[in-house]
Amino acid sequence: MTGTGNGNRPPAKASDRIETSSGKTAISPGTEKLQRRVHQLSLREQLERNHFLLERLNAASVRLLQTLEQHDVCEAIGEIIANLIGSEEVAIFHYFPLVRTFKLAWSSGIEDDTVRAFGSGAGFLGRAALGQTSQFPKRQLNTPLLSYEKDLTACIVLKSSHEIVGVIAILGLLPQKSCLEWADFELLKFLEVYGAVALQFQRLQQEQVAP
Amino acid sequence: MSTKKILLVDDSCTARLVNRMIFSQKPRYVLVSAIDAQEAVDRAREEKPDLILMDIVMPRMTGLEACRALKKDKETEKIPVILLTTRGEEKYVQEGYASGCSDYLTKPVNDAELLDLLKAYLGE
Repeated sequence: MTGTGNGNRPPAKASDRIETSSGKTAISPGTEKLQRRVHQLSLREQLERNHFLLERLNAASVRLLQTLEQHDVCEAIGEIIANLIGSEEVAIFHYFPLVRTFKLAWSSGIEDDTVRAFGSGAGFLGRAALGQTSQFPKRQLNTPLLSYEKDLTACIVLKSSHEIVGVIAILGLLPQKSCLEWADFELLKFLEVYGAVALQFQRLQQEQVAP
Repeated sequence: MSTKKILLVDDSCTARLVNRMIFSQKPRYVLVSAIDAQEAVDRAREEKPDLILMDIVMPRMTGLEACRALKKDKETEKIPVILLTTRGEEKYVQEGYASGCSDYLTKPVNDAELLDLLKAYLGE
């Protein structure tokens, strides 16, 4: 009997294999049917996951589009992260690359001291801006965390045409959510680009209106 | 095929949008929405939905208060209410059930989980 290796499934029985005239071992029709069924179920699961991701991306896209009239880009990004990703501890900073300065644009569920510490630009937030790439502390286990970064889940760089517009700090996830999943990373990639475009659009509009 | 009317109550535009996307593929369900709990109570009396999906944390009146109000009203007491919220901690879940809700679903909502729950309450 051959084991499956992971200990979860029973080992294949010898009766599942058929000896052919050439001496090679073939899989019995029953096993083949079962394998096809498993493959179909796995495909179906993938389809459903992709479909759900498209629904979420669509909702996020429509929500960002609404901000063009409602001028609430940061609230919209906060809502997308809370409802579609699963965190209510978010801070969004405008970034001014020429002077390398962060300015808090919006925050929710984070203490003022922590927001100020992030705004100083040290640690992950600064590294994200400097390297122009989003940072995920749980994927970078060798990078030391500063005291206020212990709950940090991600620093997302909002980048439009190679220019950094802002950075999102996402701290703790909701209690029912243990970690970011595949679809969450896709949504965050979407925010990196389209959140940046919406934020920049709002900033330009404000500059145009200001005397 | 009989259609079922669902009243969706959420002050978050993103939550309403994603639910609309989910239900747009399911012609069996007709979605009506309310953006706060007071509107939900009024619309429930008016629309007589087959089921209510309601957020908890909303301005003016919470979903829990609305659920209690719906359960006190003879016209709406039998409508199943599923609370839909970011608050997944045990004490919130217990509070939810104490308000008279039929079920409790945490955000971010998984569409398969949501549709399975609807099937359980509204049939295939």
